[in-house]
Amino acid sequence: MQPGALGGGGGAVYDRGYRPYEGPRGRRGAATLALFKASVRRALGLRRSWRQKVAPFTLLAVVTMPAIVNIGVGYVTRDQLTDRIEIITYRDYVGVSSALLLFIAIVAPDVICPDRRQRVLPLMFSRPLVGIDYVAAKVGAIVAILFAFSFIPQMILFIGNMLVSDSALDYFTGHLDVLWKVPLAVLVLSVHYAVIGVAIASLTDRRIVAGASVIGLFLVTSIASGVLVGDFQAGEGSAAALINVLALPLYLRDVIFLGNIDPRSPLGGVANGGLLALVEFLAVVALGLTVLWRRYRWTEH
Amino acid sequence: MQTGPLFRLESLTKRYPGVTALDDLTVEVPRGLVGLVGANGAGKTTMFRLMLGLARPSEGRLEVCGVDVAADPIEVRSRLGYMPEHECLPLDQTAADVVATFGELSGLPARDARQRASDILDLVGLDEARFRPISGFSTGMRQRTKLAQALVGDPELVLLDEPTAGLDPVGREEMLALVARLGTFGISVLMATHLLDDVQQVCDHVLMIDGGHLVVSGATESLLERTGVVTVDVGSGRDALVAGLAGLGLTARVVDDLVDVTIDGDDDLDRVRDLVADLGLPLHRLTTRSTSLDEVFLRRAGESS
Repeated sequence: MQPGALGGGGGAVYDRGYRPYEGPRGRRGAATLALFKASVRRALGLRRSWRQKVAPFTLLAVVTMPAIVNIGVGYVTRDQLTDRIEIITYRDYVGVSSALLLFIAIVAPDVICPDRRQRVLPLMFSRPLVGIDYVAAKVGAIVAILFAFSFIPQMILFIGNMLVSDSALDYFTGHLDVLWKVPLAVLVLSVHYAVIGVAIASLTDRRIVAGASVIGLFLVTSIASGVLVGDFQAGEGSAAALINVLALPLYLRDVIFLGNIDPRSPLGGVANGGLLALVEFLAVVALGLTVLWRRYRWTEH
Repeated sequence: MQTGPLFRLESLTKRYPGVTALDDLTVEVPRGLVGLVGANGAGKTTMFRLMLGLARPSEGRLEVCGVDVAADPIEVRSRLGYMPEHECLPLDQTAADVVATFGELSGLPARDARQRASDILDLVGLDEARFRPISGFSTGMRQRTKLAQALVGDPELVLLDEPTAGLDPVGREEMLALVARLGTFGISVLMATHLLDDVQQVCDHVLMIDGGHLVVSGATESLLERTGVVTVDVGSGRDALVAGLAGLGLTARVVDDLVDVTIDGDDDLDRVRDLVADLGLPLHRLTTRSTSLDEVFLRRAGESS
């Protein structure tokens, strides 16, 4: 019998023992990337039961629907001599769906809270990983998914519009600006929602509390802003609109697409409204990241 | 083969507000299977946190596997595996996913991490259960999964915090057997426990701390002092042996079907052996009784306080 083989007769069970690992080994970067990938998998429900896949892929279907409808209408009316019927523009499509808000409220707590509740953090921080890496991986995962779920429908819309247009090349060259405005606006929106969602989720180990808090923050600031701004005419908005953290990325979207705040928006007509929105965006992101850094500053002094 | 001490403490002190967790520890510990022994609150967890670079010493210096922890905690962590005492596993994932993920977090490429996860789960006896969610695991299976995640990164040193906690006697024996095997794989172990029997069974070096102070550090065998009593197993002839020993002037008594004989040196040992032969008794066993680690700990801790 060979060494390490147990049992006799017709079969044998082999004790393969232990083999040391002699391959390449990464450090912080590799560990952060691994945590990023694990968080993306978790958020999308990959390697989990089908129930965990319902929320993300339903969201993807919901946010893609306007693009499909728009392309379908464009196809049906392609031979009409009147102007093309456009149900939704690229600008409007950024942040069009409140399903994104629901998604953040579900996924950010799911990616963050169990690590603390199930006391997995000590295992993670016993690896070549520090708090900033953990935050980068978790926020990065949510940003990546939000970006993908906001960007993919826009690309479907762009390609579809191009194909149903009279000249695909003319459409492409005539809408080149979309190719940088959409990703930039979507990135701003994704970072904003992801940082807020993850930062709030980091404050509790209970998913339901975190999810309710995320929705609560967006709803309360949205309602408060609406009450303070009240009815307004185009170009006669109020700086109180900046209280609405839900709509903040949409003001920046306007700046990216139009070069200024849309006069019809609650912030329209406010002096330096775009700059104020940018400053608030940066402040919110900085505050969120500071909260996260303090929550995951694992090494005590 | 790694050389040099497993870890070296130089005047290591860790203070928290109102309490000194570790007080001026200076010791050098060789590679191998090491027991870290102390009562609850003795400073074992603080020691682990310092070794992992998750806490910084108030004073002194700590070197693990030849690396100064304060200078490069990331390098130290890449060489260590850690198995906490408490529940720490994501319950809704399979053992294979969890161990592979922690392999990647240890710096292994994804493909290698999955392969090693499979191998290590096989090693700890979870090969058939590796695709089941951890929520359905027994305490013993969870302990094995925790050990597997500590090993998947192929550490030089694995820190085990009460690895037999909550296990039934069979599970405890199996876990200790696994720990003992790690030494044969060239992996050093620092096993924190308050169960001195576990240490005596597995470890070849013992570090005892009490109230943050170093009680004793040394090879397990060297700490187990001889008591001057030998135990003789001669089967049913024990009464005849006791009578014969009394005739030689040696004190002997029957304890649990065995004969305990108080001796004074190797000459007495020879006389016991010769008497057994003269009486024509079968000599099944003749052993020198040593102190237990419990006795060593209680005595040394009492001396140092």
